Amino acid sequence: MHSALVRVQNVFGFFTTVAFTVATLIALSTFINPQAPSASIKLRNVQVVRGRPHYYSYKKEEYAHIKFDLDTDLFELFNWNTKQVFLYIKAVYPATKPGLPPSEAIIWDAILPASSAPWHQNHYIHPSPKKSSSAKKTKKAAKQAAESPYPRGILHLENQRPKYQITDISGKLQNRTDVQLELGWNVQPWVGALVWTNWREYGVWQGLKGGKSETFEFPAIGAGKKLDTEKGKEGHRLMAGGEVPVGGDKKG
Amino acid sequence: MADQLLDQVRDAFEGQIDFEGQRLAEMLTTVMLGAAGIFAFLIGFMAQDIKLALYIGLAGTALTFVAIVPPWPFFNKNPEGWLPPHTATSGISIDVDGQKVG
Repeated sequence: MHSALVRVQNVFGFFTTVAFTVATLIALSTFINPQAPSASIKLRNVQVVRGRPHYYSYKKEEYAHIKFDLDTDLFELFNWNTKQVFLYIKAVYPATKPGLPPSEAIIWDAILPASSAPWHQNHYIHPSPKKSSSAKKTKKAAKQAAESPYPRGILHLENQRPKYQITDISGKLQNRTDVQLELGWNVQPWVGALVWTNWREYGVWQGLKGGKSETFEFPAIGAGKKLDTEKGKEGHRLMAGGEVPVGGDKKG
Repeated sequence: MADQLLDQVRDAFEGQIDFEGQRLAEMLTTVMLGAAGIFAFLIGFMAQDIKLALYIGLAGTALTFVAIVPPWPFFNKNPEGWLPPHTATSGISIDVDGQKVG
């Protein structure tokens, strides 16, 4: 410690130790935060159509379009170390061959930010309940539209359209049975480990109650009409090859 | 003239402190940074605000750098004096590897 340079090195060296120790403590402190998440998913409507994976494709595939109701109470996932929660709903259905694991495909997702997270365009904006939207359209109402009408982690979605239409690796999806919608999440902390959905109890963490729909089946093609995925704001993500598949009646 | 200036610059840059000062600097580093870390966690946890914890930790670290790195006068309160100039009458004998140099 005799010269200034040595003192800089010493102070910085011990600073890294302190910073790492505090970060470890913060990461561990999430495990003493009790949580009891609950959710319910109900199927509203399911249709299967035939379409192309992208515009220039010669191959036709079958796409399932699933509408659902979702009510969640995930408020306790947001503790002081939570940056954001990535919430998703996947359709799970058994494989065609026995012995293979079931297929899973995500039909809807949302990024729920914590209060400490800075604004980002991809953060989920909860649609306002239909009753209040007709009340008055002042500046205040416009401002509220950018915020969720419910507290963090509370969702009440009715007849929600999927973000993604799903297909199978075989390209065939109609008449498949024992399909189930399942809620999942990733809790992304500021420091520490990424935490997946827990179905079991760990200490003060309760497992997720509900979070799975009743089983249903993919109907045959053409049962029903009018298909829409979620559009606008963060719900609309266009990528190359990610275009909405066209109906089966057009030329391929 | 240029040599003198260079010496001053070098002294200011090196910022040497005495032995007691080094002991004090070492102790202050440990105490200040440790306290900053403990306060950062406790206050942040009580306020449930992780950014507050971050800023308290960084502020404490900045304060520690300011307190430790420059050669403040309180690090130089016990300067080590030179040996008295060697004369035949001083009676001090210096031994280096068994050979008398003094």
